Amino acid sequence: MSPSLSSRPGAFVLLIASLAGLAIALYAYFTPLTGVTGTLGALVAIVACLALAVMALLLFKVKRRGASIVLRILILMGLAGTFFAGMLLHQWWISAAMVVGLIGLIVDMVRATHHARLTHT
Amino acid sequence: MPTLLSTPFKSVTPGLGAVTALAMCFTPLPLLAQDQPSEQENPEQEEAPSRAPIPLVPGEPTWDSFHGQLNAQKYSPLDQINTDNVGELEKVWEVHTGDVADGSGELPATVWSATPVFANDTLYIGTPFYRILALDPGSGEEKWSFDTQSSLEALTQPALKNRGVAYWEADNPVAGEPCQKIIYMGTMDAQLFAVDADSGEQCADFADNGVLDVNQWNDTNDRWPLSLLQPPTVVGDHLVLGWAGMDWAYEQAPPGTIYSINARTGEREWTFQALSDEMRDQSGTANVWTHMSADEERGLVYLPVSSPSPNYWGGNRAEEVPLGTSTTALDIETGEVVWSRQWVHHDIWDYDINAAPTLMDITVNGEDIPALIQATKMGFLFVVNRETGEDVWPIEERPVPGGDGSVEGEVYAPTQPFPTKPEPLLDQSEKPNVWALADAVSFGECSALWGDLHYEGMYTPPTTQGEGTLGYPISAGGVQWGGVAFDPESQTAIVNTSHIVQYVKLYSREEYEKADSGSGNESGFAPQEGAPYGMRLEVALNRLGMPCWEPPFGELVALDMTSGDIKWRRPVGASQQYGFFMPESWGSPTIGGPAVTAGDIIFIGASMDAKVRAYSLETGEELWSDQTEAPSVSNPAVYEYNGRQYVAFVSGGNTILKDQVGDQIVVYALPE
Repeated sequence: MSPSLSSRPGAFVLLIASLAGLAIALYAYFTPLTGVTGTLGALVAIVACLALAVMALLLFKVKRRGASIVLRILILMGLAGTFFAGMLLHQWWISAAMVVGLIGLIVDMVRATHHARLTHT
Repeated sequence: MPTLLSTPFKSVTPGLGAVTALAMCFTPLPLLAQDQPSEQENPEQEEAPSRAPIPLVPGEPTWDSFHGQLNAQKYSPLDQINTDNVGELEKVWEVHTGDVADGSGELPATVWSATPVFANDTLYIGTPFYRILALDPGSGEEKWSFDTQSSLEALTQPALKNRGVAYWEADNPVAGEPCQKIIYMGTMDAQLFAVDADSGEQCADFADNGVLDVNQWNDTNDRWPLSLLQPPTVVGDHLVLGWAGMDWAYEQAPPGTIYSINARTGEREWTFQALSDEMRDQSGTANVWTHMSADEERGLVYLPVSSPSPNYWGGNRAEEVPLGTSTTALDIETGEVVWSRQWVHHDIWDYDINAAPTLMDITVNGEDIPALIQATKMGFLFVVNRETGEDVWPIEERPVPGGDGSVEGEVYAPTQPFPTKPEPLLDQSEKPNVWALADAVSFGECSALWGDLHYEGMYTPPTTQGEGTLGYPISAGGVQWGGVAFDPESQTAIVNTSHIVQYVKLYSREEYEKADSGSGNESGFAPQEGAPYGMRLEVALNRLGMPCWEPPFGELVALDMTSGDIKWRRPVGASQQYGFFMPESWGSPTIGGPAVTAGDIIFIGASMDAKVRAYSLETGEELWSDQTEAPSVSNPAVYEYNGRQYVAFVSGGNTILKDQVGDQIVVYALPE
């Protein structure tokens, strides 16, 4: 793990969860007999997971506090929406990946808060 | 009361038929209830049925026709798969025919509602590209295929449709002679093909080298070919053949003749017409576009007759049309009407009788009754004695709403038949409640629509006012052509029903030209050309595509046929929109039907989510499911081959239900 990744384990977990969700959504969209093959819903899940992965990467880059907060809110909304979409698509593993992603986000937020406190003491 | 008729059939002798039909037209209905002497000359009238009847409680598993058996019970005495082990079912083979189109290219979309036919140790199936496939029942390996080379044009329907094939075999097959066993399939352009069941070669002795041009008899209002989408009903050596046409397009349309064809030669034996000659000219249809059932022991074939033309305005057919929208029993040897029951008087709602009645022997109040149950689009189930057409439980004539005066030239039936038992499959007595969720997310769109829809209960006539008349249901609702299954051991009937709210509005010709914005499959605008009114039929959805009425949207219902009471009912399947599955408690609208087995299992596809399922016959509990390619809009087939029980589904889809098509035949069995 690179120093950057090791310093943001929560964001790293979020990234991995998003990529896992993306893989499952791609499988659901392209594989016959998943029940959602070729559907708009599965396509939405693909796009959402991709967006989450991009936002997870941005978490590593964004330094400003305000931007981080906005990004985390967007990620939280994305996780919730994709979790719900996974449930409605009967793609339970997408929803499971979103739960893991949420854990990653929480870890990232907690560590960021902890780091901020250390900086200010 | 049943209409007991002896003469108002249409013989192949036109003059005689005209006299008969005119007599019927001007005869008050009660008089038609009298037995009348037959005037038809028919050389085969004295012949006894040529084969042993299929018993109503079968000892041998039979699945050699569209509804499994001629009695349309869709029942198999096989019990290898039962409630204890059905959860172990596994897919043993699947075949993709390649005969599929989604309508995005040059070909129209396909609609595939075929039931696989098991006969001659082979599984036979027709495809929407009008090919016949003969498959090994255990492996799916192709034995032979036959291509009719039919043009793939949607001549009468908005899609390429097929409901499979029919099978016939000689009583005493001659070894080495071809076509002792024959597979029949029709095409959209009205050609009936007969091919040898062993080889797939055309039967040279049948009609014109194995092809019968049914359109040669299309001699009245021939605005379209008599599309043969439903395979013929095979009764002894008779092929009983109806046809399908184009809905809602014209005021005058081809009238609904039924043909009895000799299974060996393709010769026409007798014809039956539901309309008088005069009515045939000025109206049309009242055809049979779905399967029929038959009681070979009694020599009767039962016709589910559709409504006359045009479907939503009846000013051109103000006289009685006693055989329209009816169940009509014909003598299989002569085509003579034995009895008829009309289920909708002066039908202006397109309430075609759309499923073969299911024949059953039931015990009511200690009396054994040879009965039949007729499912309908209205959600009513009519149960009558199949020998006489008389009520098993009272069927009452009740007053129904007249029109609001906005429709010129229309007349209204003052009463309609209502069964007292079984109870209606859905409550049509009041306007259904608006679904709060659909209303909220559409910011009141559903409530606003409800306010603009006229409804005074079942049989509220179409109007030109507001957004039109609400129908619960109209053409899409209630029971479709899958019909009722029946377990003869427990005397339980099984039926899937849809709960769909539609609304229909009539437009004066001038208004119609302004308003017409196109149509879909069985929805949107339709001209009823020639009539003073065009029409629009829509499903009541909000702009997000959500139903405006409360769930469940479809149910599976079990009825105790000894009492007429409902044993249980439950939502069936799941609705699906854009891939998103809705909760199963909401159920799904259904097209297709059930099969029932001695293992106390109900097999059914039919739902939007393209899953096939097994339910407990006793409790309705869902016991098994599997995902298929597209909604299975047909009845499953249950058969035994080399000692193993199989269940076969066709997943073909229907754009009425959902924009999803398939070409999959999928077969399940227990692990070996």
